[in-house]
Amino acid sequence: MKIKNTLRQMRKDWVLYVMLLPGMIYFIVFHIIPILNMKLAFQDYRIIGENTWVGLKHFNVLFGSPAFKDVLMNTVIISTMKMIFIFPIPIILSLMINELRFGPYRKFIQSVSYLPHFLSWVVIAGIWIAFLNPVEGGVNVIRGFFNLPSLDFMTSKEHIRWVLIFSEMWRSAGWDTILYIAAILKISPALYEAAKIDGATTFQQMRYVTVPAMMSTVVTVFILNLGFFMNAGFDQVFNLMNDSVLSVIDILDTYVYRIGILNGQYAYATAASLFKGVIGLVLILSTHFISKRLTGKGVW
Amino acid sequence: MRNFSVMKSIIQFVLFIFVLAILIPLLNILAMSLSDPSKVSELSGLGILPKGFSLINYEIILANPLIVRSILNSVFITIVGTIVNLFLTALTAYVLARTNFVGKNIVLILLIAVMVFEPSMITEYLLMKDLGLLNSYASLILYKAINVYYLFILMRFFQEVPDSIIEAAKIDGASHFRIFTQIMIPLSKPALATLALFYGVYHWNEYFRATIYITDPSKWPLQVVLRQFVVSQDNTTLLNGIDGKSAEFLASLDFGSLQAATIVVAVVPMLLLYPLILKYFTKGAMDGGVKE
Repeated sequence: MKIKNTLRQMRKDWVLYVMLLPGMIYFIVFHIIPILNMKLAFQDYRIIGENTWVGLKHFNVLFGSPAFKDVLMNTVIISTMKMIFIFPIPIILSLMINELRFGPYRKFIQSVSYLPHFLSWVVIAGIWIAFLNPVEGGVNVIRGFFNLPSLDFMTSKEHIRWVLIFSEMWRSAGWDTILYIAAILKISPALYEAAKIDGATTFQQMRYVTVPAMMSTVVTVFILNLGFFMNAGFDQVFNLMNDSVLSVIDILDTYVYRIGILNGQYAYATAASLFKGVIGLVLILSTHFISKRLTGKGVW
Repeated sequence: MRNFSVMKSIIQFVLFIFVLAILIPLLNILAMSLSDPSKVSELSGLGILPKGFSLINYEIILANPLIVRSILNSVFITIVGTIVNLFLTALTAYVLARTNFVGKNIVLILLIAVMVFEPSMITEYLLMKDLGLLNSYASLILYKAINVYYLFILMRFFQEVPDSIIEAAKIDGASHFRIFTQIMIPLSKPALATLALFYGVYHWNEYFRATIYITDPSKWPLQVVLRQFVVSQDNTTLLNGIDGKSAEFLASLDFGSLQAATIVVAVVPMLLLYPLILKYFTKGAMDGGVKE
């Protein structure tokens, strides 16, 4: 009886299913099928004929390979450096921008600081490669001014990770202030009035009113960043890497690209991305639930 | 407040340095692209005014059939891609936002699964190969036809349309498809315009899928040509486009300036739309509350 009702309901709603069809076909073909096809990680790829199952062969090779260990370390190091050095910057910036009165100067600063977020990494890499040029690049002009020797940052193993950190900062620090500024704007002016009556200085107002009020946003953003820890920045590394620094900035995603797409070791590369995907999934799901618990906001 | 004017000045100064750090590299590239090739070596890496003035770099680039072709490819992919994105996203969002039907939960679970688990670039590539979409614009337009985050944004917007309007239409005998095309779409113009920008910026900046899916240079979008020329320092695309010019002419070129001009060309559409982008993206980011 229940099934009959369900079927009748479905027949009545046939228009809805027709409208849903294109979207569902899209999701199944372009998302679900590639996800299911990651079973390739347990197979050997054949150009003609069926792939053969090989169990954990690729994973054994993967975990035994020094190259993979390096890549994993690079991913962890670069992600951690980004967390430590980039995460606090937008918080400080938004506190500083908040101290500016509303007006053309504030608007100008905000508009300019958002701009790099909308440039592709190809464009940013082009700009940075020119800016870090050992001969006439801006950074070396400044170094020359202080009588420091010129440096070729792009090919220096010691410096290239800092290039990643600073270029990421350049691109996203301004944009990432948006959420914090939104949080600050929601603070009731009454709190500031009260603080002023109690004789709080600008700095004390910041310390005791603004910062505590934006903490929940800070926590949310931090937790969500943790969820994407395994994404150390494919686009960025892909565009800024070259042979001389590959060993220190090769991350999981660029590794998968190189061994998979360039060298055609499809199954082995799929095993590497399945490993990354599973770690990433665990991180995202756990951060989602932690974030929901703590702040009421999750990834979805 | 008054006693802390020193602190205010420090803050203003630090923010000024911050803005300079963003603007100088950008303006330097612009200045380089507009400089006279023979004088460009005098331009310091911090210079923001061109040395001499010449449009020769742009003339060379825009006379190059491969680069012009790539610009047209990018424009085509961006426009068609955005239209496909908007249509599919709106259609799906309508059904999920405004109606209840058997199986809706399954669909929502599917969407969340898609959002949290990314397929491997290898299996995506193999799928494109199996579908015979390699070297086609369709591969770039279809592979991200619906963005789940944007779908959720639009669903939220559709949910805010007052029920009474929909009910009235239903009483008048309007079908779902009619309600979608004649009520929801017109009422959602601001939201759709916002999404059009989101998707448009995305298509304009996309280079990676094109790098792996498209091997035929005549189908490359601008970002791929730019990448080859600027990041990989490979001049073949550019040189192949210059025919019948003397060796002296080639020697007079400054590749740094030509690269700069190509970068500028790739950024210009973004800057033209920047006021709109600012308005909608910042609002979207503030409302969304979740970082992408």
